[in-house]
Amino acid sequence: MTVPLPRLVRVELLKLASTRLSYGLLAASVGLTALWTTLEASRAGTGKGPAPLYTYSGLTSIVTGGVWGLILAAVLGVIISSDEFRHQTATFTYLAAPDRNQVLAAKAVAAAVGGAIFGLAGYAVAAAVGLAFTAAHGYRVAIGAVTFVNWGAGHLVGGALLAVIGVAAGSLVRSQLASVIGVFVWSIIIESLLGGLFTAVRPYLPYTAATTLAGTLLGSAAFGPARDASSGTPLPFAAATALLAAIALAGALVAARTTVRRDIT
Amino acid sequence: MTRSGLVKRFGPVTAVDGLSFDVHPGTVTGFLGPNGAGKTTTLRMLLGLVTPDEGTATINGMAYRQLREPLHEVGAVLEASSFHPGRTAAAHLRIHALAANADPSRIWDVLELVGLTGAARRRVGGFSLGMRQRLGIATALLADPEVLILDEPANGLDPDGVRWLRELLRGFAAEGGTVLLSSHLLAEVAQTVDSVVILDRGRLVAQGPVAELTAGGAGLEDVFLQLTKGVSR
Repeated sequence: MTVPLPRLVRVELLKLASTRLSYGLLAASVGLTALWTTLEASRAGTGKGPAPLYTYSGLTSIVTGGVWGLILAAVLGVIISSDEFRHQTATFTYLAAPDRNQVLAAKAVAAAVGGAIFGLAGYAVAAAVGLAFTAAHGYRVAIGAVTFVNWGAGHLVGGALLAVIGVAAGSLVRSQLASVIGVFVWSIIIESLLGGLFTAVRPYLPYTAATTLAGTLLGSAAFGPARDASSGTPLPFAAATALLAAIALAGALVAARTTVRRDIT
Repeated sequence: MTRSGLVKRFGPVTAVDGLSFDVHPGTVTGFLGPNGAGKTTTLRMLLGLVTPDEGTATINGMAYRQLREPLHEVGAVLEASSFHPGRTAAAHLRIHALAANADPSRIWDVLELVGLTGAARRRVGGFSLGMRQRLGIATALLADPEVLILDEPANGLDPDGVRWLRELLRGFAAEGGTVLLSSHLLAEVAQTVDSVVILDRGRLVAQGPVAELTAGGAGLEDVFLQLTKGVSR
């Protein structure tokens, strides 16, 4: 071991904080969540949207609507790793820290921190919108405080682990454009298709598992015809966390054994 | 710095073929060769960025990847485009100062040294090639290393910048530092270096003090072209 890991984590966090893209992604995440949840909340109870906000399911569909924060957490992870190759900064990075596995680990930790912030920010906006609409209608809040806290923890863990999966994906693919597109295609199209066609595997799909961690009803985070085709039971919190952690670890190990070892020419 | 029997192949092409040479403290050594001679690949093997198929490259007796605080021992500039365009020069140096465990006050010292103090808050994406070279050199000097490895550092520098670089490198070596400098600008190299290592097609063709190689009255350029047979690739 050469450079201590905590120092490398601080380096990666400083990299994140020193570009406008990180803030732009966070703003996009918050903005999309605000737009999505406001539209949904305004349609709640009209028969064309979610159930009324005085019901548990109606308010849940708004409060757990911060899925954009989770998707963009994965995009953040991809950018943390693939930026090094897009801008050829890998040369300076590996000159400072020649142990590449350590650099990968530092990126994973930094991505987890950033992803957790994205997840929590999305949740905060969605919860604020849901509660604001509920209060505006004079309804009582149908969700308990403990549930709110649990979903907050789910957004934190889901965002963090999806970001780490993004780091692994960006390290494996290296092309930033391809891997960012891949995140959206996987989350929005492939998981919706797979989850719609094979409902038994739906709880085990990574984006779906992260959304159920965050309190979203199984299937309601899917897009297109597969949305609301709810069936089956979501994974328990610990199992979903373990699944996402295992996917992140497996991806990082494959990257460490393959692409991360490649010559920097 | 020592390289012993370095070999690197890229598919069917042998980029570096059994290369061995030493570079000593207190000297500026020119690392010369035609395009495709294997200079950049050799420098990258020395710095742990490219893994040799055979042989070893060491700095102070250790492989680069084994150095405990590498940036305190070696400063390197390999390409002028290795910067995030959205980051300011100061932010770039802050990141590398942290990575190197260097005193943050060094950031302003090196910015002043390379003449970029006024551009510290500007994003690197708007820098000219010469400014990027200067920022690269500032990065290399951040942790006050003993060894400098520079690949074509004069590219993009104006005549004033080339002179500044020459004086910087001569001063660095005069204080006991070791400089390995790859360049195509032979006239400039002749004014800067004490000795040269000349490669052709991945192999060592000459090594020694410039004064010895040019003792017959020929200039460094003539010696270089004769040794590499003037082949243009």
